Amino acid sequence: MDNKKYLTVSSLNKYIKYKIDNDDHLQEVYLKGEISNFKAHSSGHFYFSLKDEKSRIKAIMFRNSANNIKFRPEDGMSVLVKGKVSVYEANGDYQIYVNEMTEDGVGDLYIAFEQMKEKLAEEGLFDPKYKKEIPTYPTRIGVITASTGAAIRDIISTIKRRYPIAEVLLFPALVQGDGAKDTIVKQIITAQDYKLDVLIVGRGGGSIEDMWPFNEEVVARAIFDSEVPIISAVGHEVDFTIADFVADLRAPTPTGAGEMAVPDYVDVINYINQMEQRMFENLKNKIVNYKNILAKIKESYVLKNPLNVYGIKAQKLDNLVDILNRNLKERIKNNKLILDKLISKSEILNPMSALKRGYGIVKKDDKAISSIKYLKEKDKIKIEITDGIISSEILKVEER
Amino acid sequence: MEKKFEEQLNDLEKIVEELENGEVSLDDAIKKYSEAMKIAKKCSDKLKKAEEQISKIVKEDGTLEDFKIEE
Repeated sequence: MDNKKYLTVSSLNKYIKYKIDNDDHLQEVYLKGEISNFKAHSSGHFYFSLKDEKSRIKAIMFRNSANNIKFRPEDGMSVLVKGKVSVYEANGDYQIYVNEMTEDGVGDLYIAFEQMKEKLAEEGLFDPKYKKEIPTYPTRIGVITASTGAAIRDIISTIKRRYPIAEVLLFPALVQGDGAKDTIVKQIITAQDYKLDVLIVGRGGGSIEDMWPFNEEVVARAIFDSEVPIISAVGHEVDFTIADFVADLRAPTPTGAGEMAVPDYVDVINYINQMEQRMFENLKNKIVNYKNILAKIKESYVLKNPLNVYGIKAQKLDNLVDILNRNLKERIKNNKLILDKLISKSEILNPMSALKRGYGIVKKDDKAISSIKYLKEKDKIKIEITDGIISSEILKVEER
Repeated sequence: MEKKFEEQLNDLEKIVEELENGEVSLDDAIKKYSEAMKIAKKCSDKLKKAEEQISKIVKEDGTLEDFKIEE
């Protein structure tokens, strides 16, 4: 033993590290395994192990790489990682230094989704020219979703709150698992026969697997073929499915679908009041105009001094003129009475003056505007309010 | 059958447009005004008195049944 040369622990570990770091095969390693002993350290680094049925390796992911991953790693999760193998000399641990990590399994679904999206896009199923308009004031709304759960509850309560006069018909369907796609397709076809103004198709949030029926080709084609305009409402704001791309309108959530399907009845009542007010103003102006014309005629020279015009004091003409004069004055008086009556009548009919309550009429090229679709940036508009007209230019047009 | 709400509202919009843009005689304007006011009242009443529609579920055999949300 005494003749042997003894190494220090440090120099052995240093040597092993040197060997490993100089092995090209270990500089870029693609590895799949299951996460265990996961710890997200307060420094931002992740410490964990990767294992399969037989073996495990320590893993570390430094903060800069850890910040880039798109999911929350947990014990038991299957992952795909890219990294290099090296040695932590102080402990004599060899480990994998991970710089990229994705969830295993999700990858396949993601690829399937992208391929389906591309295929249907090429066929034109997402083309805006096929998008049907969603009616503004629907009478009957169909909903295809599960008959229990948050989605149907959110949709119905939103519609009832905003626009209780609309009728809701539920076409119950499975919205996850085997058979879901077939019941969804069947119900889209069934719903065509129920005189619907709009159809909401969707479900609440869930995993990508749960929402998968809404990525199926048969569902996409049924939505495309539907005569009834369809609003898709699958999962949450961040979830996009093929159904969303092919539907006539995509709602971020089931509640959002309820809001897009119907107007708020308070807005509709205000709109009606505004129209009543506009008609009243219009009629009033007309009557005032006629009144002014009549007043002018009354003041005219002929009527004030009929005798001077004719000059001749023949009895007959005198009489005729007298008669004419009397008739005209009578008619003017009558017309004035009628007009006065009309004015007061229309004032009685006048709805509560919407303008006086602070509403305004937006006009472009002297036409009243009822929707942002007639407006764009830089348009010159006039806003009529109770005591005047404001000329303005549009900075921005935003959908509510 | 009574006209659908949307159709009534469209009628109303059409009359307002006619009054504002068209060369309507005073007589016609008055007629149209009172007609429009009747439609407007009908529409507003429908919204204000709104009897809530009961949601229905479409059964397998195509028949409709009242649907109550399970809380």
